[in-house]
Order: sequence, then structure tokens, then C-alpha cells
Amino acid sequence: MNDRNKGLTLEKKKNLIGWGFLLPAALLICWMSFYPMIQAFILSLKSGIGVNLKFNGFRNYARILKDPTFRQTLFNTFFYLILQVPIMLVLALALASMLNNKDLKFKGLFRTAIFLPCATSLVSYSMIFRAMFANDGLINTVLKRFGASPVGWFSNAWTARIIIVIALIWRWTGYNMVFYLSGLQNIEYSVYEAARIDGASPIQSFFKITVPLLKPTILLTAIMSTNGTLQLFDESINLTKGGPGKSTMTLSHYIYNTSFVQTPKFGYAAAMSIIILIMVAVLAFVQMKVGDKR
Amino acid sequence: MKNKIITVALLTAMAVSLTSCGNGNSGSSGATRGAAEDDNTLNVWCWDPNFNIYAMKKAAEIYAEDHEGFKVNVTEVQSEDIETKLTTYMSSNELDLLPDIFLMQDNSFQKYASNYPDIFTDLTDSGIDFSQFAEAKTAYSTIDGRHLGVPFDNATVINAMRTDLLEQAGYTLDDFTDITWSDYLEKAKDVKEKTGLPMLTLQAGSPDIIMMMLQSCGQSLFKKDGSVNIKGNKVLKQSMEIYAQMVKDGTLREVTDNDQYIGSLNNGSVVSTINGCWIMASIIDQEDQAGSWELTTMPRLDAEDASNHSNNGGSSWAVTSNCKNKKLAYDFFNETFAGSTDLYDDIIQKGAVATWAPAGETDAYAEESDFFSGQKVNSMLIDYGTQTPSNYTGPFYYDARDAIGVALSNVTQQGSDLDSEIDTAQETAEFNMEG
Repeated sequence: MNDRNKGLTLEKKKNLIGWGFLLPAALLICWMSFYPMIQAFILSLKSGIGVNLKFNGFRNYARILKDPTFRQTLFNTFFYLILQVPIMLVLALALASMLNNKDLKFKGLFRTAIFLPCATSLVSYSMIFRAMFANDGLINTVLKRFGASPVGWFSNAWTARIIIVIALIWRWTGYNMVFYLSGLQNIEYSVYEAARIDGASPIQSFFKITVPLLKPTILLTAIMSTNGTLQLFDESINLTKGGPGKSTMTLSHYIYNTSFVQTPKFGYAAAMSIIILIMVAVLAFVQMKVGDKR
Repeated sequence: MKNKIITVALLTAMAVSLTSCGNGNSGSSGATRGAAEDDNTLNVWCWDPNFNIYAMKKAAEIYAEDHEGFKVNVTEVQSEDIETKLTTYMSSNELDLLPDIFLMQDNSFQKYASNYPDIFTDLTDSGIDFSQFAEAKTAYSTIDGRHLGVPFDNATVINAMRTDLLEQAGYTLDDFTDITWSDYLEKAKDVKEKTGLPMLTLQAGSPDIIMMMLQSCGQSLFKKDGSVNIKGNKVLKQSMEIYAQMVKDGTLREVTDNDQYIGSLNNGSVVSTINGCWIMASIIDQEDQAGSWELTTMPRLDAEDASNHSNNGGSSWAVTSNCKNKKLAYDFFNETFAGSTDLYDDIIQKGAVATWAPAGETDAYAEESDFFSGQKVNSMLIDYGTQTPSNYTGPFYYDARDAIGVALSNVTQQGSDLDSEIDTAQETAEFNMEG
């Protein structure tokens, strides 16, 4: 026994301990995430209604190409992604650097206030936004007070999409800001002082110091936001119900409808989920390649 | 660099799994699992404590008078959740988790009965006399001539009107009774001019009223052979034209959600509403409007077999295949929902109007309603109900209905061409049915 222990070098031993720590989490991920993913893939190769499922190869994937609703929901989802994620991340970064200022008073209060939306339930905040933008809701009442004519926010496709983007920004900016704030704690204050002494303006030090040093965090938040937006569900179903028509419906909402609202087609729904998975993977890969240049 | 990637991957995985944990917890906990074990109890799933749950408990009370020790365990489950649960249990082959009895929306009944027949128990030979229920109602839960559900509440369409507002415009209730839609459109314009109020408020994108119009002619979005009946359906086209015309005239105002719809009824910003009779519960809520509402029939279309009566909503009870005391369940229904006028006399106070004919003959149903200016509301509803044409909803009801909702909002809100929207709706519905 002693002999065997002697056979391991110190480095190997340390490695083994490291892998030992990783093992429980890795097993859990395999069991809870990868196994269902494989099952979903197998399901996506079957078709049929309800429980009468039969293998039919890649016909579900071919069907996706012909599905106008899929195209519409894909467009909606990417619209949210392309508009909302950059705005939100820039805002979060700006807020984080403002709140990181050493001389700012009531820092805790502001941080809490900005983070708070993220602690509200997705359903209740959606309902509040719906009430605010209703025909006789707060926003229209204010508009009328100032002499403008009220807007039917939810009856026009574009205004309805914009409301979803606004709601998402409100809900998630604080969440991302917290990541940036914690990232900023790791940047030595002396670096900023040195830059200031060298005559760098606050804007210069933001772009030359903060952004490069925060790159890993920015990458993380970008990947998480992309992932979250592609799987967007609650806002679509609670805030606009996908309407008017299907013009604000997200992919996940359509997948849910395919399985539970319309006549159940689990195979087809699984195929669409696999497509989302592939999109998330590809986008994350691109972001990592672009964002990580060390 | 490698470590960074692993960190990112792990963090992402963690965030994802945390979110899924959060979602997993939102399911209803503490629900009674499965069917009742002992032979004098039935486990029931239904929703709305003030209506369905009340009725079920009352029925149990009545049944327990003659059958000592009988009880029901009612679990409150929302109707969408019942449907999701049924789908999930069927897909995962866990039929043991089904209760003895559940309530189901009539519009969903065909979908579940034809996709998941294993859930249901055939009640045709259970001794329940289905001929005593309104025919249009039993049609929802009958598939291939087999009865799979016990009809419950009545959802006959009513046209509830503010007679005080009509008076301002120089009309009476009789001017709107048993009329045609074209007549209705003209009068609605006049009322709008004189009172400044729209005739109807409806939830945008919800084609409920189109469905009611179709059924008033005995039609639906499907032919009897199950094929889609959207393209070339004259009744459908006429209904959508009426809807679009009313929006254009300003006599129909679209609202964003159900709360606003109910609000418009209660705050006096609309002259009338056409809906299933369950809407009365919300109207009656506004007590200070007593005496200003009265009920009449909905307008009829200009078509063959057109009537002034239709149906919207309602639900039926189903006995599951998992029920171990089927005899008890049959007997329970036979002596309550299909055999007790006492039950229906009691639940009428909650607005649950029977579809069971003998219930309509009791004194409780002949009572005059104080709220609706002395109209004999309950017997009127029974009368409307028996005149309602039955139609075929089909298992793909929601697929077709969704497609119509999209077409309708495109026509009214984006001014799209009606004919091409109807063609698209036909294609969408057929695409969804291909499976």
C-alpha cells in the first residue's frame, strides 16, 4: 500500500484530488443535463401525436425549415437578442463603474435599488408591465395628460416588441451589474490613480483599463445573456401572450405551445429545442473566440 | 485559458441549473396523488373554489346523506394545469398518478379524448341518462358515440345589455332581441353616435366571438370528417367581416387582457357584451348597476341554419381509467349531477346553471332576478341552451383557433387582406395537423 502511494508523484496526487473534487459536480451535470439532452435528441427523431411516437429520421428537422411560425419566432427571438443584450450590457457596465466610485455616498442603497428588479418574480413584473402599457394604463394616461394621443402598445407588433425589450432591460440590468461590480473589485485602485497622474481622462481610463481588465466578466455575462434571451419564455407568455398574432412570440413559447397548448407534438418540440441548443453553443463559441484573445 | 473556459462553462451550467430549479418548484405541491385507496372516497381535480369546487363539495354532501362515510378529496388544480398534468402523465406512462375524477374544459375534451383515450373511462353503460342533458353540451364529451364525460355547467351565450344606455340612444331591449348582425351593426353605429360608447369590448387576438358566431350556425373550424374548414367557409368569412367592420366603426373596442374586459363592463365604458353566461357572475359583482342590465339573445348571421343561440366555454366531469371505485363514481354522478334537483337548486346561487333538463323545472329556476330587472334569468338560459345548435370541435380545436386569432389580429390591426389571411390560417392549421 505504501509502495503504491510512493508510486504517485506529488503532482499526480494533487491532480487526483482535484479531479476528486470535480467528480460530484461532473456526475450531477451528466445525470441532470447531458442525459436529458441525449433523450431529447432521441425524441426529436420521432414524430406522432401524443404518445404514439414513431422514429422518422430527420423529418422533424426538415419540417422546421418549412414552418412559417418557426421563422417568425426565430426572428422575434433574434430581434430581442440583438437589440436588448448590447443595450443591457453597456448600461450595466456604465452603472457598475459609476457605483464603483470611491467617493459616492449611499452606494449600498443604489446598488440594492438597481439589483432589486431582479429579485421580483418574472410573472408579477410581466403583469405590472402589461398593466402599465394597457390602453388605459399609466403610460397612456401620462401621454394624454401631456396632450399626446394614447398608443395601443400591444396592438402593434413593433411597439409590443419594444415593450418586451424595455421590460427585459429593466429586469436584468441590475443582475449583470453585480457581476461587473465584483469584477471591478479585483482591479487595483492604484492602476486608476497612476493613469490619472499620467493625465488619462475618466473615459480613457474606462476604455483602456476597466474594459480590458473586465473582459472575462464581460464574456461571461454576454454568454449568459445570449443563452437567457434565446430561451426567453416568461415575458412572451405573460406580458404579450405572443401577440398581436404571433409577432412577439419567442422560440421557447412556441415550443411550449407545440407541446401543451396545441395538439401535443413532442418530437417536433424536441427538435426545435435541439436547434436552440445548437444556436446557443455556436454563439457562445463565437463569443469566446472573439472575446478571449490572450 | 483552459481553466477560464472551464470556469465559464461551470458557471453557465450552474446558472442554468439554478434557473431550472426555480422553475421546478413552482408546481403545485401537496396535491393528492393518484386515485383514492379506500372504497368510499373519490379524489377529484377541479378549479375555482367559488364555482366548480363548491359544486363538487355540495354534491358530495348530498350523496353522503344516503351513503354514510362517503367523501371526496378535492384538490384545486387550474384547468391549464390539469391539461398539462394529463399530457405529462400520459407521456411518462404514470397513469397511477391520475385522480378518480377531473374536470375538463369542453373545448379541450375532444383533443384529450382522441389523443389520450387511455385516460378516460367510457360512461355510456354506466347508467347515467345522457338524454336528459342538452344535446349541444353532451356533444363535447362524446367521441365515436361513446360518452366520456358528465356535462356540468351551462355556457349558453347571452347578450347582456345596459338598458339605461340603450334608452339614452332611443332603443329598447326588444330592438336587439332575435335580430340579425346586419341590423345589429346599424343600430350599434347609432348607439355609438348618441352615447359615445362602443357596443362591445373584446380581448384583442382572442377569437371567442368568431367561435360563437360559427356555432350559432352549427359550424366550426372543422368539417364533420375532421378536415379543416377555414378556406371557403362562408360563415367564418362573414363573421370576420362583421368583426373587422365593427372595429372600423368604433363599435367594438379591443382591450389588452381579461382584467380590462371585465373592468369595461363594471365601469360603464361599454353598452353590452356577448359571452357565455358565466360572465353574469362578473356583471353581478358591480352591485350598484343592479337594474340597468338585462339579457337577450345574440344576433344571428345571414346564413343557412343560422340561430340566435350559441355556446362559449363550460366544462364536463370525466372519470379516469385509474379510478378503482368505478361503480361508486357512476352511482355518485347518477344521484348528483345527473339526478339531484337539490344540487342544482343550491349551486344556482353561484351562477352554475344546469344543462340537465329536469333541473330547469324547479322553483329555483323560475325565480325572478332582482339584478336583471325581474327577468327569469335561469329559465331563460335553459331555454336558450336547448335551442343551441351543436357542432364538432375536433381534437385540433386549439390549432385552428390560434390560426384564426392570428388572422383576425392581422386584419384588424395591420389592415391585411381578409382572403389571404384566411388562406394562411388554413395552411397553418393544416401544417399543425400533419404532426
